[in-house]
Amino acid sequence: MATDVNFEVSELESNGIPVLAVRGEVDVATAPQLRERLNAFAERGNVTIVVDLTDVSFVDSTALGVLVSAAKRLRKGGGDLKLVVTEPHIAKVLSITGLNEVFEVFATAGEAVSA
Amino acid sequence: MTTAEPSPPEIQQPDTSATRCVELSLPAEPELLFLARMTAAAVASRAEFGFDQIEDLRLAIDELCITLAGEDGTEGRVHLVFEWEGDLLEVTAKLVAEHDHLTAAPPTGTDWPDADVNELSGRILDALVDEHGTDNVGGSPRAWFRVRRQPRDP
Repeated sequence: MATDVNFEVSELESNGIPVLAVRGEVDVATAPQLRERLNAFAERGNVTIVVDLTDVSFVDSTALGVLVSAAKRLRKGGGDLKLVVTEPHIAKVLSITGLNEVFEVFATAGEAVSA
Repeated sequence: MTTAEPSPPEIQQPDTSATRCVELSLPAEPELLFLARMTAAAVASRAEFGFDQIEDLRLAIDELCITLAGEDGTEGRVHLVFEWEGDLLEVTAKLVAEHDHLTAAPPTGTDWPDADVNELSGRILDALVDEHGTDNVGGSPRAWFRVRRQPRDP
């Protein structure tokens, strides 16, 4: 699989909840890598995960599509997907697409994990 | 016997019109879309758009290309034309065949398709630009948008 130097996903765990920390630009080229990581969680069933977008500088509609699909799949299995967003441009994209109403959005991963 | 003098090379006259134009042609591949974003940012900066609007335009050009080439890319090249005059910037993206015909972008192939990216893309363009649309010119799909520079905060 091609890798993008400006994109990285690292997996952490906090209070037993997986946290995917994403870095870089999530676009049509890199979103499939995020989809793959999220699908792996969704296949485990009843899982709530936090996707930390603090270090993400760009998201487009394909990235949002991946997040929405993962959230739907996780919720169907009794889990959920929570977002951490601090970058104003990312928050703006969520707002103009109405997805700020679909996701629980937090300012820090700690808040998301303990909510 | 006289021989005709070879005609002198044409001298390129400087463009004195107020409209500026930048063109970019790149393969319709997802991995190269960042080049369109970089160019959009550079053009918007040259056209004196503010930082926030430059970020908006990076996203708008991305969505324009996805509209045209699909999520998985397609055969052919995306030909982008950025034209600006005064506070108006117009971007046109045209899908150009490299061979005899264009092939529609294939489906993603996942058993769990992503949420409707086209709908999200449309919402993003609605919010970020003043006008946008798609059409077909001479058999080549085309997508475009127009946006006016917003006054900067004092």
